[in-house]
Amino acid sequence: MSVDQDRLDSLQRWMIEALIAPDGVDADTIAATFLPGPKLSASACLAIYQRSYILRLRKCLEEQFPASYHALGATLFADFADEYLRACPSDSYTLHELGRRFPEWLEDNRPDRDQPPEQRESWIDFMVDLASYERDLYRLFDAQGHEGRPWPDVSTDDGALVLQPCLALVAYRYPVAWYYHEVRAGRSPQLPVAMRSYAVILRRDFLTHTYPVTRLHYEFLSLVRRTRDLPASVEAIAAEAGYPVDAVWRSWRHEVRRPWIEAGFFVERAVIGG
Amino acid sequence: MTELRGDAAGHRLGFGVGLRNQHFDHILATRPPVDWFEAISENFMDSGGRPRAVLRRIAEHYPVALHGVSLSIGSTDPLDRDYLARLRRLADEVSARWVSDHLCWTGALGVNSHDLLPLPLNERTLEHVSARVAQAQELLGRPLVLENPSTYVRFRQSTLNEPAFLRELSRVTGCWLLLDVNNVYVSCFNAGTDPLDYLNQFPFDRVVQLHLAGHQHCGTHIVDTHDRPVSAAVWQLFRLAWQRSEQAATLLEWDGDVPAFERVHAELMRARQIIDGDAPAEVEAAPRPRPDSAEAVSTPVAFLVPEIMSNSVVCPS
Repeated sequence: MSVDQDRLDSLQRWMIEALIAPDGVDADTIAATFLPGPKLSASACLAIYQRSYILRLRKCLEEQFPASYHALGATLFADFADEYLRACPSDSYTLHELGRRFPEWLEDNRPDRDQPPEQRESWIDFMVDLASYERDLYRLFDAQGHEGRPWPDVSTDDGALVLQPCLALVAYRYPVAWYYHEVRAGRSPQLPVAMRSYAVILRRDFLTHTYPVTRLHYEFLSLVRRTRDLPASVEAIAAEAGYPVDAVWRSWRHEVRRPWIEAGFFVERAVIGG
Repeated sequence: MTELRGDAAGHRLGFGVGLRNQHFDHILATRPPVDWFEAISENFMDSGGRPRAVLRRIAEHYPVALHGVSLSIGSTDPLDRDYLARLRRLADEVSARWVSDHLCWTGALGVNSHDLLPLPLNERTLEHVSARVAQAQELLGRPLVLENPSTYVRFRQSTLNEPAFLRELSRVTGCWLLLDVNNVYVSCFNAGTDPLDYLNQFPFDRVVQLHLAGHQHCGTHIVDTHDRPVSAAVWQLFRLAWQRSEQAATLLEWDGDVPAFERVHAELMRARQIIDGDAPAEVEAAPRPRPDSAEAVSTPVAFLVPEIMSNSVVCPS
């Protein structure tokens, strides 16, 4: 790529591409743009920026995906991170968005993506799920939450309950929450066998919690999120699952209502102005 | 435009520390004897979680200034109005003494390098940056404070030196200046120029803040790593800059291998000792945390990424 030295926009386009793809920069353009340093050539001066660019952002991805880093090891993680950063350079003023597309990129760039699902490598499925979980945790850490506002208690009417704002409903092919927290505990877990898992991730009092739930609970809470009508969701999930509605109401009242309210699954509609 | 210096001497905030996530609990628990804090704008402006709640509490007890790394005032991409609106809301919320960023660009074509990239310093760039500073100040409702970055290249198209560029930029736009003494040393070494000449040309009447930090000397060049104590040579420049800026607010940045708050605070206190002449500036303050290497990374930003793992628990089903 040539540079019109009289145009700042041309210079900046060239330099940003020189950071993202350093191999594509020709020495003549570098020499025409920069003076040599007292002890370094112009190319070596530019290389300080090029080297720092990738090391800096790779380190940020390591911080945002610590369990993925653990699972892949430093060398393989660096390979993935470098490819990702080349394909998906940061498009935001905040580093918090740096890893936003990482799980999707892993899925889209898996080497076996053209194979039928049953012939694909299972460890890649695991890595995609683990990265998705880490991204959800990262997002919820600093998302708008309910701290500083009143929480409902067991006396709150069912009709007033809606899901709290800092909550994600997630489904994975592997028990990635277990793996993540094994790594957090300083252990070196083996890659787990495939096992469909459902969970609620939420933040309360600035602490992020993961609650494993059943598939039926996951679908019920998804209905609550979609309809913002808890009693109607009880009726709907009973119909969908083919259970007597009375049995589902009993399950709600006697098995999950109290622990879910106390865990912070719900807030009162009136408190959040909904 | 607001006077940040002058009779009220609003720039004499004393000695402050860059607010880092690792130190939140210590600061809230002990309320350490620090004159003020500088918070990285981008770490708080979108926060709906603990970081912003902590900053609000700290701002109840300490003066706070905001320091940005993504304004990209020198970019040819349009200014990000949403970013500036969010920054303004945060500055209002914490009664920021001022809002600073760097004389640099961070990206183009919608890509953010998260680096503080250098500009060719000439009349065309001055016109370009001046117009954007005026626009940013209008949108922020307050003057900007701009910092000299560390640089590793020199453009053939540059016709102005950095002090002259900043002097004119400040005169035209009314912006104020943050003089990073470590960056002066780093940039001058890398350019083969004399840091004393740089300071002799710098418009100190526009300086409201000074930065201090450590760097890594790689033999052929110096990298601004912020991961170690301030060097003896930088302390010498600081003494001069502090006097010439009439005691501008002084802040220590420590962003890589961030030690315990007490260690950072002890390093900050060396600034007081050096001003008082109690400690010879040529003595190294502390051992380096790790050997120098060719892998020195400029503009460390990993400290901007909060440590999430320790903040997560998995509950029984």
